Amino acid sequence: MSRFRPPAWFVLLLPAIIILAAVVLVPLILSFYSSFTPYKLTRPETLYKWIGTFNYEKAMKSAHFWAAFGRTVLLLTIALNLEMLMGLGLALLVNKVTYGQRALRTIMMFPMMFSPVLVGFQFKFIFNDNVGLVNNALQSLGLTDRAIPWLVDGQLAFIAILTAEMWSATSVFAILILAGLFAVPRDPIEAAKVDGCTPWQSFRHITLPYVMPFIYIALAIRSLDVARAYDIVQIMTNGGPARRTELLWTLIGRTGYVDAKMGYANAMGYISIFLAIIFTVYFFRKLNAARSELGMAG
Amino acid sequence: MAQVHLRNVVKKYGAVQVVHGIDLEIQDNEFVVLVGPSGCGKSTTLRMIAGLEAISEGEVSIGDRVVNDLPPRHRNISMVFQNYALYPHMTVRENLGFSLKIAKRPQAEIDKAVDEAAQILSLADYMDRKPGALSGGQRQRVAMGRAIVRHPEVFLFDEPLSNLDAKLRTQMRTEIKKLHQKVKSTIVYVTHDQVEAMTLADRIVIMRDGHIEQVGTPLDVFETPANTFVATFIGSPPMNLLPGTVSGDRLALTDGPVVPLPPQFAGNVAEGQEIILGLRADNLMPVGHTMPMEGAYAEFDMTVNLSEPLGTETLLFGSLAGREVQAKMLSPRPVKDGERLRFQLDLTRCHLFDAKTQQSLR
Amino acid sequence: MNENLQHRIRARLLKVLHFVTLFIAMAIICVPGLWVVLNSFRPTVEIMAKPPVWIPNELNLDNYRAMFGAAGEGGVPVLQYFTNSLIISVTSTAIAILIGMAGGYAFARYRFKGKSGIFIGLMLTRAVPGVSLSLPLFIVMAKTGLIDTHLGLILVYVALNVPFTIWLIDGFFRQVPIDLAEAAEIDGCTRWQAFWRVEFPVARAGVASAGIFAFLTSWNEYALASQLTRSTFSKTMPVGLRDFTSEFTINWGGMTALAVLMIIPALILTFLVQKHLIAGLTFGGVKG
Repeated sequence: MSRFRPPAWFVLLLPAIIILAAVVLVPLILSFYSSFTPYKLTRPETLYKWIGTFNYEKAMKSAHFWAAFGRTVLLLTIALNLEMLMGLGLALLVNKVTYGQRALRTIMMFPMMFSPVLVGFQFKFIFNDNVGLVNNALQSLGLTDRAIPWLVDGQLAFIAILTAEMWSATSVFAILILAGLFAVPRDPIEAAKVDGCTPWQSFRHITLPYVMPFIYIALAIRSLDVARAYDIVQIMTNGGPARRTELLWTLIGRTGYVDAKMGYANAMGYISIFLAIIFTVYFFRKLNAARSELGMAG
Repeated sequence: MAQVHLRNVVKKYGAVQVVHGIDLEIQDNEFVVLVGPSGCGKSTTLRMIAGLEAISEGEVSIGDRVVNDLPPRHRNISMVFQNYALYPHMTVRENLGFSLKIAKRPQAEIDKAVDEAAQILSLADYMDRKPGALSGGQRQRVAMGRAIVRHPEVFLFDEPLSNLDAKLRTQMRTEIKKLHQKVKSTIVYVTHDQVEAMTLADRIVIMRDGHIEQVGTPLDVFETPANTFVATFIGSPPMNLLPGTVSGDRLALTDGPVVPLPPQFAGNVAEGQEIILGLRADNLMPVGHTMPMEGAYAEFDMTVNLSEPLGTETLLFGSLAGREVQAKMLSPRPVKDGERLRFQLDLTRCHLFDAKTQQSLR
Repeated sequence: MNENLQHRIRARLLKVLHFVTLFIAMAIICVPGLWVVLNSFRPTVEIMAKPPVWIPNELNLDNYRAMFGAAGEGGVPVLQYFTNSLIISVTSTAIAILIGMAGGYAFARYRFKGKSGIFIGLMLTRAVPGVSLSLPLFIVMAKTGLIDTHLGLILVYVALNVPFTIWLIDGFFRQVPIDLAEAAEIDGCTRWQAFWRVEFPVARAGVASAGIFAFLTSWNEYALASQLTRSTFSKTMPVGLRDFTSEFTINWGGMTALAVLMIIPALILTFLVQKHLIAGLTFGGVKG
C-alpha cells in the first residue's frame, strides 16, 4: 500500500506557512475584501455591502491621504539615506580605532535595545518645548531665550521625528556596515594605496564596492520594519498638531480605530503595504546586483 | 635613478621590536631578494619600503628622497602581493589600468600601457574576465601586469609565488627574471624559498629575527656563508654541521673520526678551539661515486640508514658522530639500508665555524 | 625633509580630528539613553524644573518604589505588565525558534521548486506594516475571542518573528558543511540524530542570535500590542508606558523607571550575543 508522503522540505516549512497564513495572510485577505465595503466597526452589517473601489477612489481624491503619503515617502527616503550615510561614517570611524574597539561597538548597539515606543517618549521629552533637554540646553548656552516649539511647528516636528528615528536606527546600519568593513580583505586596499590612491580614492573604488552588499542588507532589513517609525510618531505627535506630521500609518490608525472606518482604513492600509513591499524588493534586488558584482553570488 | 637606501631601520610594535636596525643599499636596476624563515622581518622591511608600515626609527630613501612619512602613492613604487590583491569587481583590463586611471592619464595612454603589459605577460585573451574567473597563474600575471603598467622606479614583490603549485612556480620564476631584463627596474623581492632567492637575485639578503645575517651574490652566500645559519639556510640539502675540536693540524670530530684540518683555515684557528665543520652533501660521497677531488681530502666509513634515489644522483642519509649526515652518490647504484660504505670528504670545499659565535672562521 | 614634515603634520591632524568626531558621535548615541536612566532616579519636580536643574540635587529610588508598590501616582500595575511581557515574549520566541529552525533547515539543505519564491514570500510578510495588519487582525481576534489574551499576542509575535528567524538560521546552517551531517549518517546516525547531535550544536550560535532577535522584537513591539490588548491581564510594558500619560500631562519620573525596567533585560541579552548577532545578519545576507 503506497501512501502519499509529502517531501521533507514541505513538512519542515509547513508550521511556518500555517502560522503566517493564519496570522498574516487570512487577515490580509479579509482586509482586502473589507476594503471594498463601507465596513464600520460599530455597524457589523456593513461588512456585507459591496461598494467596489469606492474606498480607493476616496483615498486617491483625498488631499489628506496624499499629504500623508508624500510625507511618509519623504520621511523614509530622507531617514534611510541619512541613516545609511551616518551609519557608514560611524562604522568607518570605529573601524579605524585600534584600541578599545570592542567597547565602542558595544556602545554603538545601545540604541538598538530601546523599544521604538520608548524612543518616542524619550524624544518627546527631549524636544519638549518647556522642559525638554534640547531647549534647556539651548537656553542655558544662551543660544536662544524663547521656547522653540519643536513638536508643534510642522517642519520642526518633522525634524524632531527624523532625529528620533535616526537615533534609533543609525546604529543598525553602523553595526552591519562595520561587519562589512571587517570582511574587506586588506590586500586590495594596500594594493590601491601602492597604485597611487588617496585615502578617499581607495575608499571610493575599493572599500565601497566591498561594503555595498552590507549596505543593501542593512537597507533591506530596515525596510522590512520601517513601519516601526509608526510607534515613534504616534507617541511624539500622533500625526498632529492638525495633521502637520501625519504619516500614512498614523492616518490609517486613526481612521480605523478612532473613526472606526475599517473599510476605508484597510484600503489605505493596502496602499501602505505595497509601498513597504516596493522598498523591500528594491533593496533585495540591489543586494543581489552588488553581490554578483563582487562575484559572491551563488 | 632609483636606489633604495635603508639606514638603521627599526620596526617596533609597541614594546616588541621586530626589525633591529637594518642597513642596506640597493643599487639602481638591481634585483635584490630578501630571504629568511617566516617571522624574520623580511616582509615588514618590504612593507616599510612600500609605506604600508610606519618606520619606527631610521631612514628609508628611494632615489634621493627620504620617504619616511610619505604615503605609498608618493613613493613611485609598485608592489605584487602574495595573495595577488586583485580588485575582484574589476575586469583584468580595469585592474591593469586602475593606477593610471587614478592618476588621470589620458585614455589613449592607458590603453596603450595596458595592451603593452598584456602583451608582455600574454594576458590578451582574458582582458574582459574578472579575477574570479582566472586560474592562479593567470591571477599572478595580472598582479604583475598591474605593477608594470606604471613604470615605477622600484618594484616590490612580497612572496609572489608562494601560492602557486610547484610547476607553475618554476615557470613564473623564469618569467619574473625575463621581466626584469625587459623592464630594467630596481626590484626588491621577498621570499622564504632559498631556491627562488638563488635563481632570481643579483644580491641576496639573508635575514633572521630582524637582523641581516649576510648580504652577497648567490654564489657568495653559497660558497662562503658568514655563519652556520646562512650555511644551513642556503643550499639544498642543508649543509651538514659536525662539532669538533682543533688538535694540531687535525680536527677531532666529537665522537667521530679525526680528519685533517682544511688547509684554507690553517692560520685562523687556535689549538684546542671548539669548532663546527660544515660540509655539503656534494662534497661527501662514497668512494667510486665522486667527482674527482683535487687537493686535500679525507676518508672514513659510515653506515647508510636510508637512501633517496633522484635519478642522476642518490641522496644518502647516514650517521656520523651521533648526527644525521646527508651525502650524495653520483652515477648511483642501489644501496641497501644499513649498508656500510667508505666515504670521501672534500676538505678544500668545506667550512669551519666557531662553535661559540657560530661565525665563519674564514 | 619638508615634504615628510608636511605629511607627518597632516597625519597628526587627521588623528585628532578622528578622535574628536568619534567622541561626539558616541556622546550623541549615549546621552538620550543615559538621560532617561538618570531621570529615573530624580524626583519628577526636579525633572520638570524651570530653570533646568543640570546637576541632580538628590538621587533616590522613589520612582522605583512607587512603581513596584503600585501605590504612587497613577498606580500602574508594573509587575503585572512585566509578567505579561515576559510570558508573551518567552513563549513566542520559543515557538518561533522551533518553527524557524525547521524552516531554515529546509531552505539551507533541500532543493525544491519555487524555493526563492517561497523565501521572498515569507520575507514579505514581515514587510507588512504593523498598523495595517492590526486592523484586520483586530477584527479576526475579536471574532475568535483571542483579543486581549496572552495566546492572541503570542500567535501574532510568532508570525512576526518567523520570517526573520528563518533567514538568520538558514544563513547559519549554510555555514555548517553538509559533509558533517553525511559523515554522522555514515557513522550510523539517523537523519534526525545527525541533526541534533552534529548540525544543531554547530549552528547553535546562530539559533541563539535568532532567538535574541525574536525576543527583542516581541519585548519592544507596540503597534500591534496597543490594539490587541486592552486590560492589565494582557498589556505588555511598551503599551503600559502609555499609562503614565494622561490627557495633558505625563508622569516622566514613573515612566523613566518603567523604561529602565524594559531596557535592562534587553541590554543583558544584547550584550550576551552581540558577536553572534552581527555574524548572523551578515552570513544570512552576504553568503546567501
